[in-house]
Amino acid sequence: MQHAYYHYWQLLVRMVHKELQVRYKRTIFGFLWIIINPLIQMAVIGFIFPFFVKEQLPYYLLYLFTGLLTWNFFTLSLGKATSSIVFETALIKKARFPRSIIPLSIVISNVVNMLISFLLLLIPTVYLRLFAIVSIGYFFVGLVLLITFTIGLSLFSSALNVRYRDINFFVQALLIVWFYATPIMYPMRFIPHAYAPLWFLNPMTSVVQLFQHVFASYPLPSLPLFVVNTITVFIVLGFGILTFRRESQNFDDWL
Amino acid sequence: MKKILQPAILLTDISKKYEIHHEKPTLVEKFIHGRNETFWALQRINMRVYPNERVAIIGANGSGKTTLLKIICGIATPTTGAIQISGKIVSLIDIVAGFQSDLTGYQNIFINGLLIGMTEQEIMHNIDSIISFADIKQFIDVPFYTYSSGMALRLGFAIAIHAKPDILLIDEGLGVGDKNFQKKSERAIRTLLKKRITVIMVSHQLNLIKHICNRVIILNKGTITADGPIDILKQHGYE
Repeated sequence: MQHAYYHYWQLLVRMVHKELQVRYKRTIFGFLWIIINPLIQMAVIGFIFPFFVKEQLPYYLLYLFTGLLTWNFFTLSLGKATSSIVFETALIKKARFPRSIIPLSIVISNVVNMLISFLLLLIPTVYLRLFAIVSIGYFFVGLVLLITFTIGLSLFSSALNVRYRDINFFVQALLIVWFYATPIMYPMRFIPHAYAPLWFLNPMTSVVQLFQHVFASYPLPSLPLFVVNTITVFIVLGFGILTFRRESQNFDDWL
Repeated sequence: MKKILQPAILLTDISKKYEIHHEKPTLVEKFIHGRNETFWALQRINMRVYPNERVAIIGANGSGKTTLLKIICGIATPTTGAIQISGKIVSLIDIVAGFQSDLTGYQNIFINGLLIGMTEQEIMHNIDSIISFADIKQFIDVPFYTYSSGMALRLGFAIAIHAKPDILLIDEGLGVGDKNFQKKSERAIRTLLKKRITVIMVSHQLNLIKHICNRVIILNKGTITADGPIDILKQHGYE
């Protein structure tokens, strides 16, 4: 048993390494794409948004960029992990190994990229004197929530996508809408009170708010929101693991 | 003193049902049609293979040989029944699968080796031997997409052969690559066979079977119709 975990770990490390090496092979900007992408988004949204909202938001570009980095991690991971099992059919048909390594390696390789980009984001935050020591704690809470949620959803969607290829299309469509349902362009206080409970359904709300607090000094998520979001995240993880376990036994039948 | 020998492979009442999907079903179709057509690829297979036995599985196309092999190596899960394996299984099925075209040969050896159950340490220990066996020393730092299909085959075979299997699964022919490498790979398999190793082999080549195996299992439409020493081939009209 000891040996099995050790072997799982070694294979996972290699697969993450592979993901990182392969992603930006034969590109000119390489790793920089992880920053360029949200920079372009930030430039466009940051240009247009003030036309609609007359109120000046403090450090709005920093706020926006924090949310975009978080969101990019989420979309890249979930988007790629969903089709990963189908994409790696050759591996599934070759040997017996824990199938969960395939989606996990994608999520974890994106975590590495995200951490590096957050490190770069720290430069303006510290320069503008927005960084506080307690923020480190909030940062890790946000990180745990985000990674747990992404892994849970990825396990769920990648497993179901083997049998129902609609899942992939559904996830791609969902991610576009979901972006607007998350306080990335706008702060939560713009939402009328009557509608605020809707954001309780979206765990990404707490996640981005935690990061926006850390990097741009915006308010933390309210406690009830945070509690509900956290519970949802762990329920999703449970569902993801159960679904993956059940479905992974029959991956070979459907590929 | 009686020693109870633990079987290397123990299959109890294994059945495998496949759903016939002419097209991948979409969610909508699933709701409209409800249950799918099914067929049984294997039915009530009982099989006990002891260490060091060399078993050939033969049967017509569609008799369930490949499904059985997949179930033994854990790629497919039986619909019902229990399976017990003791020892490390390595299959020579699909030996070129799973190579990453953007990685170098060296990096691929590690990923492939880990996938078939070796540890990093085992791979590290055997890396020189794997490279020289595959005869790709010049190309070891070159991306895999530049490899010829012969090189890919040789590398896949070299990794599998170094995985120190307790149970070896062989599908169809052994020969890979050109004449020279075929000789080399046959020699390597013969060396493996000198050790205490269990072999399950699916093949149509009777000569090869007679040469390697000491037991035959005949499959027909998903059930075992005969199981015994290699001599039973004659009784069942295989000559």
